[in-house]
Amino acid sequence: MNALFRRVKMRRLAALLVAAGAAASTHADDSIFISRSSISDAGGADIYGHICQGCHMPQGQGAVGAGHYPKLAGDPALVSWQYVALTVLAGKNGMPAFGVPADQFILGAVQLSDAQVAEVVNYVRSHFGNKWKGGVTADQVAALPHPGK
Amino acid sequence: MENNSAAPSPSRRDLLRMIGVTAGGAAMYQAMSSLGLAADSPYRGAVDLQGAPAGASVLILGAGIAGMCAAYELRNAGYQVQVLEFNGRAGGRNWSLRGGDSYTELGGLTQQCRFDKDLYINPGPWRIPYHHRGMLSYCKRLGVPLEPFLQVNYNAYLHSSRAFGGRPRRYREIKADYQGHVAELLSKATRQNALDGSVSKEDQEKLLESLRGWGALDKNNAYVSNNTSSERRGYHKDPGGGLTASPVLSEPIGLADILDSKLWQGIAAGDIFDMQTALFQPVGGMGRVGEAFGRELGPLIRYNSKVTAIHQDDRGVNVAYEDTRKPGTQLNAGADWCLCTIPLPILAQIPMNVGPALAAAISAVPYASAVKVGLQFKRRFWEEDEHIYGGITYTDLPITTISYPNTGFHSGGKGVLLGAYIWGANAMEFTAMTPDERVRKAVDYGSQIHPQYPQEFDNGVAVAWHRSPFTMGCFGMWTEHTRAKHYDDLCQIDGRIALAGEHASYISGWQEGAVTSALDAIGRLHQRAVAQGVKA
Repeated sequence: MNALFRRVKMRRLAALLVAAGAAASTHADDSIFISRSSISDAGGADIYGHICQGCHMPQGQGAVGAGHYPKLAGDPALVSWQYVALTVLAGKNGMPAFGVPADQFILGAVQLSDAQVAEVVNYVRSHFGNKWKGGVTADQVAALPHPGK
Repeated sequence: MENNSAAPSPSRRDLLRMIGVTAGGAAMYQAMSSLGLAADSPYRGAVDLQGAPAGASVLILGAGIAGMCAAYELRNAGYQVQVLEFNGRAGGRNWSLRGGDSYTELGGLTQQCRFDKDLYINPGPWRIPYHHRGMLSYCKRLGVPLEPFLQVNYNAYLHSSRAFGGRPRRYREIKADYQGHVAELLSKATRQNALDGSVSKEDQEKLLESLRGWGALDKNNAYVSNNTSSERRGYHKDPGGGLTASPVLSEPIGLADILDSKLWQGIAAGDIFDMQTALFQPVGGMGRVGEAFGRELGPLIRYNSKVTAIHQDDRGVNVAYEDTRKPGTQLNAGADWCLCTIPLPILAQIPMNVGPALAAAISAVPYASAVKVGLQFKRRFWEEDEHIYGGITYTDLPITTISYPNTGFHSGGKGVLLGAYIWGANAMEFTAMTPDERVRKAVDYGSQIHPQYPQEFDNGVAVAWHRSPFTMGCFGMWTEHTRAKHYDDLCQIDGRIALAGEHASYISGWQEGAVTSALDAIGRLHQRAVAQGVKA
């Protein structure tokens, strides 16, 4: 978990929360809180487990209430890595965008680097029973349209 | 703060930066909520809906504050009203969790609230500022008694895990010392003629006098340990009566220590327009408002009704819904008009024939992540040991907030704290945990501020708003960009359908946004209904 603490990037909110005194402890036991880290190469599993699974659920099974969180397990749309990456970058409906550039001011947003987006895209396309071939690189993600650009 | 929505974007952005830099966790919340637009409520008293066409009907989707305030007014104006509500209760995010309640979040985990009688937390809204006149008016009309909500408590804490050895400081100490040191510095600068260019000689005398008063300075314009400063920051030993009654003065914290600690960030929370005294809370929990609306509207609300499709044509609106207790059933409701208050992440997934502008707006607003944790303790140690009666402690830990009950002071037995109010990335992480883990984490973090926690902890509940089946998020997070592009489209009536809710307001995340957007929307629907008569 310490690795995670070091690796995930969360520039905008981290900066703000630190400034606002509302976050960012250095206590030894809070290393799972990726929001206080600043380095950009978190693994897909860590990002999924600490961010995505809040809505898409631990096994990618999604959930149904008045609306629904899409199930990632067995979702044929995941055949397209571009679709997954664009959704992570730009968000969709109530889902926030994770690819907003650092100079765009969105309170409460979490920013993932292109490398992190690539990692989490690769993770969801190769877990929960999904077996889509072909890993995506940061460069490939960087070539996609990003929100706010 | 600015309240001019037409202000050029850079200034609004600067303003938000300034809030982030100068204020505390509460300011962060406020800024997230309103994105810099802390406008005074546009509520202008009871809405005038005279002349409703005979037999005209409105179908309202959602029995939250927006939907029920609209239903109440439309019914009173003579419209035929029906409300469809997903939950088995009225209120939506206006909600209190009390002992005996159970709550199942998305993913299927169920929490049983085991709080003692009369104890509760408000997972959603929890305070009503004095200028939210719409909310206050409905509380009055519905007979919901109010009591004070304490935002600022001078004896609560400001806490940084990285300053003062991780020990919390009392708000009064930080405020008095920060103010005192700043006053002394400014006074020094004045007397060294550093302000000659900006303050006239005559005004400099007045300024010095005011700084002595504002900063509790001595006659030499210094902030030192004396009666004057102890009267602000508190004594080392309080004055009393009898033989050993003489007070012992306290020693101010040095300016460098305060600046390093960053605790000054928490001073201004109560200065923010939405947090200024007086604030109120309904006696018995915020959920009392929704419950009162629910009683008032009675059979007009159909509960356990999940909307699955919304269709309009030139004669009316037809809504398909399912009884959540009988999955697979399809029921239908129709009306001349529809007021839809369904939160946008859900509405975006419901088939609805509206124009592309409204459809785009519905899909354009991500919802904020937020988590609240309520903790029951075996005794009210914050009152008994620390003399904290209500109000809020702010910390740089992920929990950000510990809020003490503003009611039931000195009552024996157990007590419930709001043990965490988490935002942004930390909230996403807390959402990804199980409810038990969230509670455990809140107890762990809180123990750094109140060492009594481990011994006195009894039980807790944790609500992560992105796991809420009826909202899928906390509130709509607009940006200046999305506002410019989509806000008006979201609020325009599309054929026979109008939207309302905090998401259709500039008071994001506040109930007053729901009230004022609902009244605005039904006012415009009414005009159309009058223009078109009963059957268009």
